[in-house]
Amino acid sequence: MRKTILIGGKAGQGIAMTSTLLGKIFANAGFYVFNYRDYPSLIRGGHNFNVLAISDSPVFSFEKDYDIIVALDQNTINKHKKYLKKQGFILGGKALKSQKLISLDLERILSAMRLPPIFGNNILIGYIAHYFGLPLADVLRVIRREFGKKADVVSKSIKFAYGIKLHHQEKVRKKRKKKYFFSGNEAISLGAIAAGLDIYFAYPMTPATPVLHYLARKQKEYNILVVQPENEIAVINAALGASFAGAKTMVGTSGGGFCLMAEACSLQGMSEVPLVVYLAQRTGPSTGVPTYTTQGDLKFALNIGHGEFPRIVVAPGDAKEAFLRTIEAFYLSQKYRTLVIILGDKHLGESHFSFDEIEKPRVQSRDFLIKNPSPDYKSYKITKDGVSPRTVPGIGPTVRASGYEHDEEGITTEEEFKVSQMTEKRLRKIESIRKEIARLDPIKVYGRGENLIVSWGSTKGAIIDSLKKLKGFRFLQIIYLEPFPWLQVEREIKKAKRVFLVENNATGLLGKVIREQTGILIKRKILKYNGRPFYPSEIIKKIK
Amino acid sequence: MKNLNLQTKAQNTWCPGCFNFVILWAFQEAIRELIKERKLQKKNLVVVTGIGCHGKIYDYLDLNGFYTLHGRVIPTAVGIKLGNPELTVVGFGGDGDTFAEGIAHFLHACNTNPDITMLVHDNQVFALTTGQMTPTTEKEYKGPSSPEGKKTNPINPITLALAAGASFVARSSATHKQHLKRILKEAIVHKGFSFVDILQPCITFHNTAPYLSKRIYDLKKERYNPRNFDLAFQKALEWNYSLDQKSRIPIGIFYKKRRETFEEGFFQLKKPWYQVQRKVNYRKLFHH
Ligand SMILES: Cc1ncc(C[n+]2csc(CCOP(=O)(O)OP(=O)(O)O)c2C)c(N)n1
Repeated sequence: MRKTILIGGKAGQGIAMTSTLLGKIFANAGFYVFNYRDYPSLIRGGHNFNVLAISDSPVFSFEKDYDIIVALDQNTINKHKKYLKKQGFILGGKALKSQKLISLDLERILSAMRLPPIFGNNILIGYIAHYFGLPLADVLRVIRREFGKKADVVSKSIKFAYGIKLHHQEKVRKKRKKKYFFSGNEAISLGAIAAGLDIYFAYPMTPATPVLHYLARKQKEYNILVVQPENEIAVINAALGASFAGAKTMVGTSGGGFCLMAEACSLQGMSEVPLVVYLAQRTGPSTGVPTYTTQGDLKFALNIGHGEFPRIVVAPGDAKEAFLRTIEAFYLSQKYRTLVIILGDKHLGESHFSFDEIEKPRVQSRDFLIKNPSPDYKSYKITKDGVSPRTVPGIGPTVRASGYEHDEEGITTEEEFKVSQMTEKRLRKIESIRKEIARLDPIKVYGRGENLIVSWGSTKGAIIDSLKKLKGFRFLQIIYLEPFPWLQVEREIKKAKRVFLVENNATGLLGKVIREQTGILIKRKILKYNGRPFYPSEIIKKIK
Repeated sequence: MKNLNLQTKAQNTWCPGCFNFVILWAFQEAIRELIKERKLQKKNLVVVTGIGCHGKIYDYLDLNGFYTLHGRVIPTAVGIKLGNPELTVVGFGGDGDTFAEGIAHFLHACNTNPDITMLVHDNQVFALTTGQMTPTTEKEYKGPSSPEGKKTNPINPITLALAAGASFVARSSATHKQHLKRILKEAIVHKGFSFVDILQPCITFHNTAPYLSKRIYDLKKERYNPRNFDLAFQKALEWNYSLDQKSRIPIGIFYKKRRETFEEGFFQLKKPWYQVQRKVNYRKLFHH
């Protein structure tokens, strides 16, 4: 079974909430669910919609081909009815107009129950759940888990909806193992918590903001601190200060905010104070299309900050990877005293994904601090692997961090020998990191076949889903983009007969990186740059 | 107790006779005395410095330190305090550093009141970049970037800090080293954001020593009460940083008030984060 449901209406009508809740209900009932969110940058009015793909086999994307449209306004019908399947139907209130409409008299129901209009959404949720034959008790269990004290009113409206006579009922197989269901942004937040995050610093910017909100809500539960400083420059400098003092810190932003952080990224490189950055890409340049997706900042992440210094860039492809790779990001940043950029985007961050299991992370994040440093401790000791053992101020010996070139003790130097010696020390970390990430699956290959699709980040979902219909294709996902696993990438590409580059940007940035790193030019490019993610059918069509 | 050695091996590169030497001396003395008085522990003291001649003080102090970016002393210092609330954090900035590049941070720190101390080496000039005007430079100043003279009036950091809500606002001068030492001690001990504008002649690019020495007077000698905000504002307006011939220049604590610090607002900040242990159950994280 595979069903696609679009839920649309005006901003402020609770579209995302409704869709996400329905997603949770289906995931709880054992279905695989993918939830896409589409909204313009405004607070009230306009047109928002979500698309839920529900399936009994794994699904990580959606097609613009709907079985059901749940309409909270007429505009939703006008805009999307051309994508409604022949046998599909539209669900909505009495005032709406369409030949395909199954109308519910929401106004009457709500006034009888003395509930405000927003509860109409729960009636619709109840109807859909009933339509798919989900047991009421299971649905109510999800409602209780999600709403806690406020569950009663919601449950009441859902129960009422189950009493409405259905126009038809889908036959679905019952009782499967329930699925994990969460968004990329939730995953990054939880990954940070699992990795021992102490302080999250951020200035609001879509699409990274949900992490700020999520972690702020969780402060008490996990004893973490969330701080919103005056601007992104303060954000990253404060994060470096806090990290120097011994807190595990992360900052989150999108392209514009990251521009403001460039100088401090370079300071990170020189001072070697650990830092994790979550960069959630949105369509640029400049303000661009703030609430839509892109993979346009790859080169920016790889190159941010002046001077030459090691950094790690990791790009998860779905929410589970986002969780696990965030834990790795903290581990690597603490161990190697480096900048780690978790490169995500709107599509990864704000979509919900479902999984059977969450595997154990491969690494256990810890602080790598020496707790009993000797009195002659040196903050920038020259070592073979380039990593100077780290401690924090307050324990005893003098601890220094500096953005100026310095000697082992952290005292400023401009001496030629020392400058090259320290530069080499820092750069030696790159090979140490490369060795370490070699065992963390820096690339992944899916499927079989002589031809190859190459991509990175959030395009993973649509590509994986398209593989089912593409005979003879493998998919190479590059997860660690810096240090670049060029040997493995080169091997995979050389093995392949035909190679396609798939990217959610206009110039094929990964293609350029691959050429720089391996000398291989990938000529066949499938690029999309209208702010929307790929649909599998687009990839299939372009390849054929 | 032996005199605490705060000296490092670094070779000093300030101009001979630079007033930064006085600031360095006054700070070291203040620290030694505070340690003797058991108000401070050396291992818990962290200095944060900006970029400019003032920033070199990082190298001349055997203390925990973060030599940060131009203009970013304050956010770095705030971060350190949030990272470990047991640390005493003292920032050193230039007037270019603090009032040009980093003024947003300065105003917000005055408002949010983190428990850090911000010492500004206010030589009313960009010294390390060879003498350009800064926001506190007087009008008509002729420098390499303003050969026809600066076109605008200086800002007054004291009124600015007061208006923005700073809980400790003081001015001292590198020409008055005992006064400076005393003010530094009070600033470091004050709980909340302590701002000290340290007037500093730059003997190479902006030598105000003769001007300052004739006009400076100590507020304390006037039995001035630093608890009165309105009075503080009036006093702050007495000199507007233009090198006019009429004004006298008050130094001392303009205003001081104990109010909730930024960190005190967070229940989480009880001990250094590196001592915090957590056990996380992965499955529970997802409420699965
Ligand atoms: C972002 C940035 N811009 C410019 C500079 C160049 N720069 C170095 S020191 C300095 C001025 C320093 O003036 P001030 O802060 O007043 O300190 P002083 O040298 O007078 O002590 C400038 C502009 C820099 N280091 N970083």
